[in-house]
Amino acid sequence: MDVFNNLAGGIVSILTLQNILLLGAGVTLGMIVGVMPGLGPSAGLAILLPLTFGLDPTGAIVMMAAVYYGSMYGGTITSVLINTPGESATVASTFDGYPLAKQGRAGPALIMAAIASFIAGTIGAVLISFFAPSVASVARTFGPPELFLIVVVGLLTLIVIVGKNRLLGVISALIGFALATVGIDVGIGAQRYTFGSTELINGIDFIPVAIGLFGVGEILHAMWRGGHLEKLDYQKISLRGKGFWPTRADFKESNGAMLRGSFLGFFTGTAPGAGATVASLMSYNVEKSISKTPERFGKGAMAGLAGPEAANNGASAGAMVPLLTLGIPGSSSTAVLLAAFLMWGLQPGPLLMEQNPEFAWGLIASMYLGNVMLLLINIFMIPTFANVARVPFRVLAPVIILICALGTYTIHGSILEVWIMLACGVLGFFMRRYGFSPAALVIALVLGPLAEETLRQTMIISGGSFGIFFERATSMWLLAVMVALIAVPLLSPWIRRIVNVRVRDVGRRRREQQRAEERKDVNS
Amino acid sequence: MRSKKIITTVAALTLIASLTACGNDAGSGAEAGADYPSEDMDWTIAFGAGGGNDIMARTMVDIINQYEMYPENISLENREGGSGATGWGYLFSKAGSGYDVSTTSGSFITTPLQSDTGWTFEDFTPIGLFATDDAVFVVPEGSEYETWEDWVSYAQEQETVVVGGIGTVNVDLILHELIAEASGYEIDYVPFNEEGQLQTSLLSGALDAIVSNTGSVLGQIEADEMTPLLFTGAERLDVLPDVPTGEEKGIEDLPAMPRGMILPPDAPAEAKEWWITTMKEVVETPEWKEYVASNYLTENIKWDQEFFDSLRETTDSFEATLEEAGAL
Repeated sequence: MDVFNNLAGGIVSILTLQNILLLGAGVTLGMIVGVMPGLGPSAGLAILLPLTFGLDPTGAIVMMAAVYYGSMYGGTITSVLINTPGESATVASTFDGYPLAKQGRAGPALIMAAIASFIAGTIGAVLISFFAPSVASVARTFGPPELFLIVVVGLLTLIVIVGKNRLLGVISALIGFALATVGIDVGIGAQRYTFGSTELINGIDFIPVAIGLFGVGEILHAMWRGGHLEKLDYQKISLRGKGFWPTRADFKESNGAMLRGSFLGFFTGTAPGAGATVASLMSYNVEKSISKTPERFGKGAMAGLAGPEAANNGASAGAMVPLLTLGIPGSSSTAVLLAAFLMWGLQPGPLLMEQNPEFAWGLIASMYLGNVMLLLINIFMIPTFANVARVPFRVLAPVIILICALGTYTIHGSILEVWIMLACGVLGFFMRRYGFSPAALVIALVLGPLAEETLRQTMIISGGSFGIFFERATSMWLLAVMVALIAVPLLSPWIRRIVNVRVRDVGRRRREQQRAEERKDVNS
Repeated sequence: MRSKKIITTVAALTLIASLTACGNDAGSGAEAGADYPSEDMDWTIAFGAGGGNDIMARTMVDIINQYEMYPENISLENREGGSGATGWGYLFSKAGSGYDVSTTSGSFITTPLQSDTGWTFEDFTPIGLFATDDAVFVVPEGSEYETWEDWVSYAQEQETVVVGGIGTVNVDLILHELIAEASGYEIDYVPFNEEGQLQTSLLSGALDAIVSNTGSVLGQIEADEMTPLLFTGAERLDVLPDVPTGEEKGIEDLPAMPRGMILPPDAPAEAKEWWITTMKEVVETPEWKEYVASNYLTENIKWDQEFFDSLRETTDSFEATLEEAGAL
């Protein structure tokens, strides 16, 4: 087995003491960066990139992979504990992660997220090893029409997120789409709603908005409820404590979600564009649609956390496929990695894997080892993190608002974004108070510009004809997937009813037959 | 005689100022006297870490530190945002200072064209231009055209060809417009935000051709995924010796992205002179030559006002082309 030899060779070549220390340091540093609201993997990589200059390429890539996973997990920690996603890929983790933490189950939630990431990472590493070349040949058929369809699939999540309160949900999403139009229009380069401000040229970044809506909005809402007066009764969390580990029921609920999320994430991640974000939202969507207890989603369903976590990790493995096999970055994090390749003197491109096999397999292996290290370190660190939930709210609230402000300022050093964040905090409070959906707003803000950009590109290419979606093989496949995604939840009650009716009819007929025979017996 | 007097006066004033300030380190570069440089340098990078501008600035500072050219500390700050507007806006606000500096790239011209930044390149103090970024015109491998002539005759037969590049008010659109005009074919330009999506779109068959930086597409060319047909620089590239330049094909004056250095508006003359002298040494070091070669830049050295004269020419032709294309 060539692939196994390659992967095993990669792992062995990495297992030196220096590299293991680098792995541990990278994961820890990454986690610290990721815990700052607003700083996700791409920021973590960019900040820590200079640290790797003194290392040889293998050592450097080991450390970068560790930072990547560490900062991604750091984002999950804040999503679960303080309802503040560090980057768009962990927005879906707040939906059920935060309710779990509110129920005093922060420990099990964080462990489950780490396990889901680990499983997705393992599946991802195996999938890369076996399918990288064939997946790459699919990834290279993705032009603007296909990317547009992928984004639309992500937007379908809005239907699930919005739920019962349709009107308020649609208004929330529309506010998000409206905010998404600010900045330079990619089509003709005109400025929209920037009011002459140079800081708004690049549009409104979703990170300050998400931090404000989720983080600060939640704090304000809790204070309005009188949360600062409540006496908290959280259980003590320790490694040996009963409440620390996920229960058997948690695992039973999440197993399927993790597996589905891993595969879904991996294949979505190979498409350049919004891979991890779309993947995690799709996974949430799928889990809620097929769940037997969809009403528990959003109120602390373990599957609603495990699925998206597995999906965003699977997607980051998937994003390595176009990077390694085509030399094309599929996400902002892999774009930073690509810049790092150049700095280490490697020429990214389709020949990277052929010309530098030990490097490419070393990268895949270190991604895998990064996952293992993350799981190990986390199990020891989670009690510390989870104890945040035990800090009295009146102390925690101002600290979180301060961290949110600091984190927002760190991203681009922009005071304007801090004001946007605070304004969104107030907006988030009122949205929650009156039943709007902050999540729908953020999803629309993240995916809106991508949808617009790719649709406009598609329309320039096709000369304004929508027929282009039916002319390209990959877009036909995507259309089929989309129809299935819409049809299954819509049709499943209907199919169930038909089946039920059939069964009932069969039963009735049988009973009638029986009765008739009985009558015959009596008559004769 | 007169300058000596000024220096004495300035020195005396500085002495008085420092005595009266007494421990209040004003740190204003406007006072920079003959003893320039005597303070820490604040080096603005108008883009994020890992980008082209960032790498160039860090390479320069590495060289300056390695050869111990600057006696005090140089601190590098990424002041990104607004396509360079934030960083250069910061430098603009430091008018008169000799201890703030920044490096330029294409956005130094294009950002003021598309938005009201409050400054243009002419407000700053020029140090010099060191190199330019040129582009390669590539088509997917396996297309029926293998030479520039094949492509042009194919493109002329079509009503329009679909081409792609990064951004709208950007050099990529200008290159496509100028090339198409000179060669007599019509284009539909598709703007992208990311290099990765641009390249996959070409490979997926959605686009007929793109322009891109040599460094980004060289891997694709070596793997026979893309065919290079034209190079926009003045001379052929060493790594792509068979690819003709625009000039060889009768397409003159193709613009390139300027990689240079600027000081704030009205920077003191000593500071300007010091940096011109120092950068003349930097561009002669083997480390700088290595940077230019490994990033496939074209060496193009112009000092002082000559640097801004060339920017003036580029800006004028940009404005004219963009207006014609309806992008401004």
